[in-house]
Amino acid sequence: MKLKVCWMYHDIMDLYGDKGNMMVLTKRCKDRGIDIEIDTCAIGEKKDLSKFHLMFLGGGADKEQHMLIDDLLARKNNIQKAMDSNTFIFLVCGGYQLFGQYYIDANNEKIEGLKFFDYYTESGDNGKRCIGNIAIQCNLDGEEFMAVGFENHGGQTRNVATPFGKVIAGYGNNFEDKIEGFYNGKVLGTYMHGPLFPKNPKIADFVIYKSLTKEYPDLKFSDLLPLDDSLENKAKNQMLKRLHAI
Amino acid sequence: MKYLAILLNKLASFLLSLVHRGGSLPGQLALKVDANILKELKISCPIILVTGTNGKTSTSNLIASMFETAHKQVVTNRKGDNMRAGITTCLLKAASLSGVVPADYIVLEVDELNIPYIIKSLPVTALVVTNFFRDQLDRAREMEQLIQKVEEAIHDFDGTLILNANDPNVVRLKDAAVQADARYFAMERCEESKTVNKEASEGKFCPRCGGKLIYDFYQYSHIGEYHCENKDYETPATDVIGSVKSIRDRQFTWKDMEFHAPQGGLYTMYNCMAVLCVADFFHIDMQYAAKTFETMDVPDGRNEEFNFHGQKCVLNLVKNPTGANEVMKVIEEDQDDKTVLLVLNDHAQDGTDVSWIYDTFFEKLVNEKTVHIICSGTRCYDMALRLKYAGYKERIEVEENLEKAVASLKNADTTMYAIATYTALQPVRKLLRRNEK
Ligand SMILES: [Zn+2]
Repeated sequence: MKLKVCWMYHDIMDLYGDKGNMMVLTKRCKDRGIDIEIDTCAIGEKKDLSKFHLMFLGGGADKEQHMLIDDLLARKNNIQKAMDSNTFIFLVCGGYQLFGQYYIDANNEKIEGLKFFDYYTESGDNGKRCIGNIAIQCNLDGEEFMAVGFENHGGQTRNVATPFGKVIAGYGNNFEDKIEGFYNGKVLGTYMHGPLFPKNPKIADFVIYKSLTKEYPDLKFSDLLPLDDSLENKAKNQMLKRLHAI
Repeated sequence: MKYLAILLNKLASFLLSLVHRGGSLPGQLALKVDANILKELKISCPIILVTGTNGKTSTSNLIASMFETAHKQVVTNRKGDNMRAGITTCLLKAASLSGVVPADYIVLEVDELNIPYIIKSLPVTALVVTNFFRDQLDRAREMEQLIQKVEEAIHDFDGTLILNANDPNVVRLKDAAVQADARYFAMERCEESKTVNKEASEGKFCPRCGGKLIYDFYQYSHIGEYHCENKDYETPATDVIGSVKSIRDRQFTWKDMEFHAPQGGLYTMYNCMAVLCVADFFHIDMQYAAKTFETMDVPDGRNEEFNFHGQKCVLNLVKNPTGANEVMKVIEEDQDDKTVLLVLNDHAQDGTDVSWIYDTFFEKLVNEKTVHIICSGTRCYDMALRLKYAGYKERIEVEENLEKAVASLKNADTTMYAIATYTALQPVRKLLRRNEK
């Protein structure tokens, strides 16, 4: 088995240690004897995203988002093709925002999004930001479990019909709605840094499984060999306890 | 109001000194009584501000000591109290009741976010900027916004900028300060310079046109020699440029004169070059700088050595990826077997977001020479996970209780390295000291 990943704009969208997600995918694949190949895609680079099993786009500061948006918009048809052919898409923070209608940044400048989904993002009142540890009850294709992370975003994302999870502690998409992220079976978007995967191995595995189904449609989530996650679970529970989420 | 503010500051400082306490409370009180007190001071000597992400405390202390060694009278916030209230405390303590500050030089370490306030309140002669790295993003916001704040603050500045020529994010300040002069310091290409660098997370794009920055070489992180692909921006001509003789022996030269850096690592030599640039600008003889570098006490938690149960233990403070990467390099240079204690806290002063550990190359610890790693602190399991995913296969021990974690170190019959975040530093020192032979 082989998992082919395309890490978009890895050199500019790398805020808050999100590269850790790629480290986790690599180790968890290798430990199971699954080959993993992580390719990158920079501004101006030719790449057919539909050839990959997983596409990852992380977060960046406002300046970086302005920098890459033209390149990203030019790939809209190709990303649609990737989604249609079951390439799984994992988005963090800035990447998550750009898949919606638009994003209004801290200086009130509007960036048009890819408009794949109905959600949109506006800047917080008086520059207020959602910052801190967060715990959510996530729901991935019917599997419900707790997840932890760290959020740090000014953007307030609204009009999310299918969230990634319910906020137990922290903020989530915005100050009011008590929901976090976006998940529609093919695309997972979230504000959760930390990075997300190390303390949430089940989500990492879920992303591996969903991505592999592009090429191996009969694969079930339970087919992934179990790994020793005692350290991961201790890290997660340490934070869940602190947030009074367990 | 001025008298009252100064008097109050002095009184509070005196009372605090009776109970052996320092801090910025006197300045807070004075600012409450008179918010413009700094503007009302009578200062006729040069004022030098030192700011930047890393090395500002060391650099500021070295500059102050360099002037003192040259027999000048210096007022400085040596304890690193670098916010508005701390700086006010320091200046009012030195001032007479009429507001005269008697000094030959005033040297102030200033937190980056306090630069706007300080620069409009005092007649600043020179602004020294060491570097800009990502540092505790949840407090300081994104680095770009921070640089923009400094740029706005120096728009009317007509003094002299003393800038690290090898940091494109620092050099761009000159574009913002149209009325200011600039002096540049740097280090020449050396044994540690590389043409590719995985550590660099800033300095990828030209601040003038947004084009790609091409590096001829990197010294560490994004510090190096660069030019824009569109040829409108490059490392400026330097006024003071050092050349490394030996990183290991901490030796470097400038203009045929040899210097010995007070601490290890190339980044320390950059701090020294900032000092030499200041000395050059104020026509202070270089021998005073050389003497200062030789005799300067190393502040707590910077390669601080202990003898712990008969073995050498080196303690380091880490507060951001760039600083941490430099610590990793020093550990990597040590060819002997070693045991490492990592203490990761996430209190406000440490930064509540610990994701920076994924921007740090803990991979440098991943080899058979590192026989045992002990993780402690409020986020000990996060630390252990980072090592697991870095591929560390030797023994990882997680011990939530710090005292037990330090006690576990003493079983090592190797050199020991202790690495601690801000709030963990003093507790670790105390525990190491308690068992020092
Ligand atoms: Zn340019």
